[in-house]
Amino acid sequence: MRTTIFALFVALTSTLVAAQDYVINVNGMVCEFCSIGVAKKVGGLPFIDREKYDNGVIVDIENQIVTIAVKEDASMEKSALFSAIESGGYNPVAIWKLMPNGERIAQP
Amino acid sequence: MDMAPRWSDGYGVQSRIEYFNSESTTWLEGVYTFDKSVRVTFKLPHSNGDFGGLILGLPLKKYRNDGAKTSNWSITPSLQLPSGNDADWDAGLSLSYSAESPKIYQLYDLYRWEDRTGLDINVGLAFPGKGSGMFALWDISALTSDKGDRIQTGPVFVYFNKNMMLRAEYKALVYEHKSDWSGGQFSVGVGFVY
Repeated sequence: MRTTIFALFVALTSTLVAAQDYVINVNGMVCEFCSIGVAKKVGGLPFIDREKYDNGVIVDIENQIVTIAVKEDASMEKSALFSAIESGGYNPVAIWKLMPNGERIAQP
Repeated sequence: MDMAPRWSDGYGVQSRIEYFNSESTTWLEGVYTFDKSVRVTFKLPHSNGDFGGLILGLPLKKYRNDGAKTSNWSITPSLQLPSGNDADWDAGLSLSYSAESPKIYQLYDLYRWEDRTGLDINVGLAFPGKGSGMFALWDISALTSDKGDRIQTGPVFVYFNKNMMLRAEYKALVYEHKSDWSGGQFSVGVGFVY
């Protein structure tokens, strides 16, 4: 019984602190050369997991999307993230949490 | 591509060689971006063993980002300092518009410099890749001045890989009136952004 409760506790907390990916729709991001700054500014945020993707960021100019990996022990800060993208020269418009099954959940 | 870097506190340097009218000029150019709306640039020419006048520019841009398109209007005052082998102050003003989508690039630049008024148009295709890409453009340049008028046209090729960009262009002289220009103009340059 204790073993079962302990295993359930570990599974639950593992889910709560697991690394999380987010997808951000960014207007105007159509040139990869000009978008270097987005990856640079976002990759410098303290909650980005730089071990994943390309320094924690994927810039997709075909779909105007930025995907980020967040550290296991950190929380994504939307205002800091959007400021970093604007500092990179573009306009973030919406953000989704990316689930392991590929589903996207809109974030406020 | 238009006036990279686009990000705040970014900067870039570029070296470009121009061949025209039996002369070659090497340009050293740089840009610092305070934010995408305000940049400062410098251009320093070197020809016949001498440096020419240093030209400073202040590109001011208003961007519009709509989904899969970005565009901007830009006004750029420029000032040439008396330096090198050029003892004159000179000034100019440029008004430009550029728009870019994943596949199409276009730039229209109307400028006035000293006694010259010119219009440059670059239109063409973008070929994006992963970490690299290229542009194949066509340039039309028209110029009128006290020393004559001319129209040039030709291809422009741009290749970039990560933070490095190469640009090569050739302009053929297709019209001239009362000017001392003859032959084509070739330019090649390499730049880096940080």
